[in-house]
Amino acid sequence: MSNQKKRNFQIEAFKHRVVVDPKYADKTWKILEHAIHEIYNHNASGLSFEELYRNAYNMVLHKFGEKLYSGLVSTMTSHLKEISKSIEAAQGDSFLEELNRKWNDHNKALQMIRDILMYMDRTYIPSTHKTPVHELGLNLWRDNIIHSSKIQTRLLNTLLELVHRERTGEVIDRGLMRNIIKMLMDLGSLVYQEDFEKPFLEVSAEFYKVESQEFIECCDCGEYLKKAEKRLNEEIERVTHYLDAKSEVKITNVVEKEMIANHMLSLVHMENSGLVNMLLDDKYEDLGRMYNLFRRVPNGLLTIREVMTSHLRETGKQLVTDPERLKDPVEFVQRLLDEKDKYDSIISLAFSNDKTFQNALNSSFEYFINLNARSPEFISLFVDDKLRKGLKGVSEEDVEVILDKVMMLFRYLQEKDVFEKYYKQHLAKRLLSGKTVSDDAERSLIVKLKTECGYQFTSKLEGMFTDMKTSQDTMQGFYASHPELGDGPTLVVQVLTTGSWPTQPNVTCNLPAEMSALCEKFRSYYLGTHTGRRLSWQTNMGTADVKATFGKGQKHELNVSTFQMCVLMLFNNADRLSYKEIEQATEIPASDLKRCLQSMACVKGKNVLRKEPMSKDIGEEDAFFVNDKFTSKFYKVKIGTVVAQKESEPEKQETRQREEDRKPQIEAAIVRIMKSRRVLDHNNIIAEVTKQLQSRFLANPRRLRNVLSLLLNEISWRGIPLTENCTVILLEGIA
Amino acid sequence: MKIPKDRIRFNVGGRIFETTSTTLANAGRNSFFGALFDDNWALKQSINDSNPNSEFYIDRNPDCFGVLLDLLRTGDLHIPSHVPERLLHREASFYGLLNHVRSAKWGSFDGNRLHHSRSVTGRAPGDGTAIRAGPDGGCCVAHGSMVHVYDWMMEEHPPINLDYQRVNDVAWLDSENVILSACERLGRGDGGMGLFSKSTGELRYKFQVCHENQLKSYTAGALSTSSDYRIFSSCKGRSNEYGIGVWDQISGKQIDFFYESPGWSLGDADKLQWLNGSNCLLVATLFPRKDNCYISMLDFREKRMVWSWSDIDAPITVDEKRVRDAIAMEDCNAVCVVNEYEDLGFIDLRMSGGSVRWSSRSRLMKGKMPDEPCYPKLALHEGLLFSSMDDCISVFCGPDWVLTSRFRQLYGGSICDFSIGGDRLFALHSEENVFDIWETPPPPIL
Repeated sequence: MSNQKKRNFQIEAFKHRVVVDPKYADKTWKILEHAIHEIYNHNASGLSFEELYRNAYNMVLHKFGEKLYSGLVSTMTSHLKEISKSIEAAQGDSFLEELNRKWNDHNKALQMIRDILMYMDRTYIPSTHKTPVHELGLNLWRDNIIHSSKIQTRLLNTLLELVHRERTGEVIDRGLMRNIIKMLMDLGSLVYQEDFEKPFLEVSAEFYKVESQEFIECCDCGEYLKKAEKRLNEEIERVTHYLDAKSEVKITNVVEKEMIANHMLSLVHMENSGLVNMLLDDKYEDLGRMYNLFRRVPNGLLTIREVMTSHLRETGKQLVTDPERLKDPVEFVQRLLDEKDKYDSIISLAFSNDKTFQNALNSSFEYFINLNARSPEFISLFVDDKLRKGLKGVSEEDVEVILDKVMMLFRYLQEKDVFEKYYKQHLAKRLLSGKTVSDDAERSLIVKLKTECGYQFTSKLEGMFTDMKTSQDTMQGFYASHPELGDGPTLVVQVLTTGSWPTQPNVTCNLPAEMSALCEKFRSYYLGTHTGRRLSWQTNMGTADVKATFGKGQKHELNVSTFQMCVLMLFNNADRLSYKEIEQATEIPASDLKRCLQSMACVKGKNVLRKEPMSKDIGEEDAFFVNDKFTSKFYKVKIGTVVAQKESEPEKQETRQREEDRKPQIEAAIVRIMKSRRVLDHNNIIAEVTKQLQSRFLANPRRLRNVLSLLLNEISWRGIPLTENCTVILLEGIA
Repeated sequence: MKIPKDRIRFNVGGRIFETTSTTLANAGRNSFFGALFDDNWALKQSINDSNPNSEFYIDRNPDCFGVLLDLLRTGDLHIPSHVPERLLHREASFYGLLNHVRSAKWGSFDGNRLHHSRSVTGRAPGDGTAIRAGPDGGCCVAHGSMVHVYDWMMEEHPPINLDYQRVNDVAWLDSENVILSACERLGRGDGGMGLFSKSTGELRYKFQVCHENQLKSYTAGALSTSSDYRIFSSCKGRSNEYGIGVWDQISGKQIDFFYESPGWSLGDADKLQWLNGSNCLLVATLFPRKDNCYISMLDFREKRMVWSWSDIDAPITVDEKRVRDAIAMEDCNAVCVVNEYEDLGFIDLRMSGGSVRWSSRSRLMKGKMPDEPCYPKLALHEGLLFSSMDDCISVFCGPDWVLTSRFRQLYGGSICDFSIGGDRLFALHSEENVFDIWETPPPPIL
């Protein structure tokens, strides 16, 4: 009974009926396979998307995903093999075109296949970790077409050949090129790199190696650089037209290496056209090109900079040590300024104001300007020249420009205190002789020096200006309080503060009676208004205007020095005076007297005196007369004083003097530093002091040690010797 | 009247629908409709031009098509009661519109507007261990030695286990992959940590630990992942190799191991939290796993503990406030902790060795504890702080962490764990194997 019941319950038959048609999967796949064929054969218009989509969906739903997927792989593979054959068969130029056409067909087909199999792509593929349809299509294309033995090398060679043809000037189909390269990129960056980029870079390197060798043999440097620049731009353009943007760095690196880095030295030193020639001829364009190209390669700019620096130092050294140049300080400085201007414009026009080049320029100038110990003096003389006469009729802005340039040279000087010394002397002369062209220019330069070196540096120079101003006021006051002095000789006194002005040996003389009386009046006036001061007369620095009448009644106003005035006044009372008599009457020191007589008796055109015997030099036994035959076109005659024979004092003396002058400054710096730091070892003191004094002069380390050890003995501080060269110094109890 | 060119007529399973190609364009290119109207298939042309009354036949369910067409028209999902949800999902999957359905089903997460969506009853024998929300609205639930995985439609996928060892923690790597940490079985080398496929449940990778170039078996505890593709787990090896292991998500290789120092606890940690801003890992070992609580911040770049807190030396007070869960709040430079009475406390992250500043907010609970209490848990989501206690979840807002919402689902007893992710909150109850799904409704019509 129970058995029968069970038999009624025949499950097998029932089960059999629900199982789907065993041929279902094959039938459905056949439909889909046929559709794929039709798609590849451009026959898709007859296909029903809905039906195909539903079929693919059903296959996945009924667990035939695997069959669907593997069917897709084999169908697509066999189509690609067909395609591969037709591409292989393409002749010559049509090869790339055929490849491109088939690639476009494949992409379109792939999109349609993916549409049909969308459900599989979305559900079956992620859960089984298989490759999605689109990617699968690309991979199969890569393996069956691009990597097929008959296509791979041919494709590469065709592409490289096209690039080569373009490099040699032919016009190629860039659109086609771009499509093919784009295909390689679509297949993955690895495909692009391995199948095109790497060999492309190798071939390019070879090409440019050969070409650069040709160029370097037949072109001059400027031409070569032009060609290299053109090639570089061409490659960059090529990348934008049909290569992957990431290739730009790589291909420009190849060109840079082959065309520039490998030939850097031969380019820079190329005979008759290398860097030095470009600098000499101011070839801004070529220099700019060289800068821009060399900047791209390692050590490129360094090479340019080094060659420029050594050239600059060499020419600069020649300039400052050429004995011919030393004869004319103004010309000397002007040359320096011209050289600086030249390189400034090279750096700004060709080297895009590169800071490192500016630094190289500065250090070179600093190097060679200081090779000549007289540079500070010459610069001061240059300023003197400009301020005396050179700036006449020049606009205010131009004056500023010149002064700024001078300041720039001044900055290069290591011995700034030497400059200060000369500058003070030259300024004093300018002020006392009233020769300065523009007060504004003088003051402007002082302000510049002040900003450069600080208040200390210029305080004395400013004192000199103050003295000039107060002297004017004093003279006005003097004449206002002595109205009776209207008729007699006029006295102009400049009261100079001791210390502000360059020290001069105080040489006195006997002034003529009328003058000394006037001087006495002034002395009492001055001391009356300013108590506690001392006046001493610097007769050796004064000038006088003397009205003279000569033999035939010709009248002249003679501009002479105070000494000369004293001598001339003697001839009011005598016709003939011997040297001895003059010396006795005036008490002018012999050397000065001789110079002053010489300039009045022996200089042609200025010889207001006559002397016996006639000779160039003044002897102790000579006698002097008024030269009645003196004539001059001018009413005013400036006599002047012949320049003293150059003091035969050796240069060394001056150097020693300078070192002595520097000692207080060094000491002050040491004390200043020790007050703030308290403990410092020997070497650091030296370093600090050098740094502090840099704005004034370059301290000699040996000299510094000397001063330091002297100071150690003098003041109550403690030096603890550590090792031979190292001492720690403690400052104790100095307020 | 002229029929606009744009109009399309469908015959779906015998019923006629008319719509426009602009409506269908909302489906996107990666859908049945997107492909259908692609130029390649040249169907649009043939439908429109040849005969204005021609229709496009689709052999599918018309009811569901209507629902999905409305979804494409309005962006709103309305499922009539006679349409089974599963059927709708099936149809949406056919058309490639499943993601449209998912994003229309619930709104973006707002902790103060949560509604109970449904409760799911599982069939695991023991108490729940952990529940973890997945990035796309699914979740997985660890029970004893098994992990049950649900997608966002709450379809259950094959369960996951690692040698049937007791599961300590689960974490989602992405919407397709789950990591599981399990106890080691003495002498067999089983357990440790494994990576599983969500959809198939297959083990795809087993993470290994090396000590002094020797492979060792281990017990993996709490898990955490970081945005720079690392996995962290607290590990206990047999020869006292305790500490935090670090693996690379892509290669699966162990890249670091931070050994715990004597007198401190890392390998027993209950909770790991990766902090993106400070590039540190918070490691918390809490009572009663150890006698004391240890919270530390590890910086793996410098290989050192940059911040630490412990209650070793804290005086034991009468009411015995022990820290039961901890969470770092980077924006406030604090670690928030909670005790068994759901009192919140804060520890300053800017200095080591600070003490807990308890806010004596809730003393109400005291004295009426349920028979089988679950310790409170904390979670932080978009500036809101969540804490579970008994069968309630409380939401705190603002700089002073004001209690703003509280929601509960009575069935299933106390909440033993909860998790927020994929714009959903999942709460696992300790009894009856039930978990709740809380969602924010889609945005209002106006």
